[in-house]
Amino acid sequence: MKRKSPSKSLSKGASVSRRVFTAGLGAVGFTAGIAPFNIVRAQGAALKVGVLLPRSGFQAGIGQDCQRGVDIAAGLLKDMGLPNLQIMNADTETNVDVARSRAEKLIGEGAQVLVGAFDSGQSSAIAQVAEQKGIPYVINIAAAPPITEQGYKFVFRNFPTGGMILGGAFAAQKEIFASVGAAPKTAVFLHVNDTFGTSMAGGIGAVMPKFDMPYKIVETISYDPAARDLSVEISKAKATGADALLMVSRLNDAILLTREMVKQRWSPMAIMSMGPGWYEDQYLKTLGKLSDGPLSFVPWYDPNKPLSKTLEAALAKSSPGVSLNTNHVYTFEALLIAADAYKRAGSADPKALADAIRATNITNNVSPGPGIQFDAKGQNDKLKISGIQNRGGKLLTVAPKEAANAKAEWPLTPYDKRA
Amino acid sequence: MFSRLFENVSRRALVLLGALLIGLFGAPLVASDYLLTVLILILYFAYIGQAWNIMMGFAGQLSLGHALYVGLGAYTAAALYVHFGIGPWIGLLVAVPVAGLAGAFIGYLAFRFKVGGVYFAILTIAVAEFARVGFDHLTWTKGSSGLFLPVAQYTRNDLWLLRGQPVMFYYILLVAAALAFVFCRALLQSRIGYFWLAIREDEEAARSAGIDTFRYKMIAVVISSAMTSFAGVIYAFYYNNLFPEQVFHISRSIEIILGPIVGGVGTLFGPIIGAFLLTGMSETLIAALHALGIDIPGAKQVFYGFCLLLVIAALPDGIWPWLSRRIGLSEREK
Repeated sequence: MKRKSPSKSLSKGASVSRRVFTAGLGAVGFTAGIAPFNIVRAQGAALKVGVLLPRSGFQAGIGQDCQRGVDIAAGLLKDMGLPNLQIMNADTETNVDVARSRAEKLIGEGAQVLVGAFDSGQSSAIAQVAEQKGIPYVINIAAAPPITEQGYKFVFRNFPTGGMILGGAFAAQKEIFASVGAAPKTAVFLHVNDTFGTSMAGGIGAVMPKFDMPYKIVETISYDPAARDLSVEISKAKATGADALLMVSRLNDAILLTREMVKQRWSPMAIMSMGPGWYEDQYLKTLGKLSDGPLSFVPWYDPNKPLSKTLEAALAKSSPGVSLNTNHVYTFEALLIAADAYKRAGSADPKALADAIRATNITNNVSPGPGIQFDAKGQNDKLKISGIQNRGGKLLTVAPKEAANAKAEWPLTPYDKRA
Repeated sequence: MFSRLFENVSRRALVLLGALLIGLFGAPLVASDYLLTVLILILYFAYIGQAWNIMMGFAGQLSLGHALYVGLGAYTAAALYVHFGIGPWIGLLVAVPVAGLAGAFIGYLAFRFKVGGVYFAILTIAVAEFARVGFDHLTWTKGSSGLFLPVAQYTRNDLWLLRGQPVMFYYILLVAAALAFVFCRALLQSRIGYFWLAIREDEEAARSAGIDTFRYKMIAVVISSAMTSFAGVIYAFYYNNLFPEQVFHISRSIEIILGPIVGGVGTLFGPIIGAFLLTGMSETLIAALHALGIDIPGAKQVFYGFCLLLVIAALPDGIWPWLSRRIGLSEREK
């Protein structure tokens, strides 16, 4: 087959025929015609959010619980009139190295905002990558203060720092004492001797004197969280004659301790926990009526806020039998922050998104406090710590007053007086 | 001495080694940021696996607590930097002796009192756990709250203070892994290396032949722990945060030894092959699953387990001895 010489073809094409002109005009018109639709589509494109959670490794249970907050977010955010999010999940494997490489991977795949990662070490590793790449990062849960003390411009945390948690817990305790008109004069402090327990014990020792608490700690007893028998610890605690039991524990030991208190017929005036265990679903289900009464002081949600009710309903639908908790609330709010910022920024440009996040002022939220706002360091310093009490298999918020849906039951109903 | 490094090494082996080095040297030019992070992890595990190999692969002393030396190196250099502004290279001059002393302490306890085999392994775990609990309570290094190194947005690399982009850490670890390889080769070609191999094969026979087994085992432990501490220093300045629960945890010790075991204990290429295979292939597996729209948390751990099973069942000496035969390299070079 004989081919046309290119030079001939070009020279022929140099003169524009009426047909070519019309076709060209049509093409220009078509392009111009659909351009507005392209713009609309760009504005309506989903924001790519990389969610990093420890869904395997020793924090797998918590990571998977946080994931429930992610899974219900899409529908809720849509109902709120916020832009769509394209969730890109990544498992950090409870490992700092993996958290860092997964953050790099998500950014490489086009993530425009990062969210996660439950743990301070992993969050810190991700924060460095986010800052280096200039991609906004919203921390859902991590309490180590230094993360937001590094002068980062792209890192935001909607979770209280360790100091805020302890301070807020003591403030909530005082509020409860004032509302019931009674307070313990002495307390015995039991805590697990793992990393978390030791850290909390140190923090309580440092923060408590600043709050002029009505009780003093008469004895501190530490124990192994893996212990199968805590009878000696409860005997020692009972022998102190303290009015209240101050706790930092995990789930299994909380159940063991409660059973031991029942066995040894010891019912203090109050059980005040400053950690997990005493409010968890498994604790309530395992102990039934014996689970009633303990007070837990934790970053929680405000049950009176309309969005909390919506979130509760959505979780009940997607995960029946699972109660709304810290993991769901703060993971959902991290996504809420991203979607809200994207809507206001009108663009997925990282700098515009970071500026929009910095200017966040969400009052229709879930966590206790005036809403979600960030200080100059990227920390939401307005968050409140709640006092929650187990009552009839449910968790009622008894402090702070503005986020309470019940008054504290005081003192603890003795275990031998329960039907 | 230098010429002895190349004794019994075939030309093909040298060419392959050169190609590998050139490839790794040029990798940052083409690798994405994510791939660079994975390569950093591979080199980290290759280096640290080489250090562990001295103790187990050469001298036959099983350590399951090598995270101890990573942690000691990391914490010593990081604490000196945070509290006194002392740079990591000066900090290294303190970190290495600290880790070496810890290794010597364990070695002395074990070898003087004839603690060997699995009991020695348990001792190494026990000391690492002791360190983890101890650092949880050590307020100078911020205990369980974690020690954070100050970070900033770095526009240029500061090699002296190890502040900068990941590519800087990549090249540091590449040089470290290459030097560790050469050093281990030199050790194996030396008198000490032959004594170690004799001890590994039959300690009683080695002693009967006049080898001071206590002395040479102590040397192996001290060199291995000192080398490992360097990886700890790099770890601290790369991640910029240290938590005892993460740094000293036994899972970190297991991660360290997986590479050499899969690659081939006692071989020079084993730790490198193992690091590439485990880290590289597990990342590939995750990427492949992701591309297929499958999200399985923990798939990597399952892959690690599968690899271990496969190696134990099919290649009990590890991959490198088998691979070196397949590609026609002399077995004698190991």
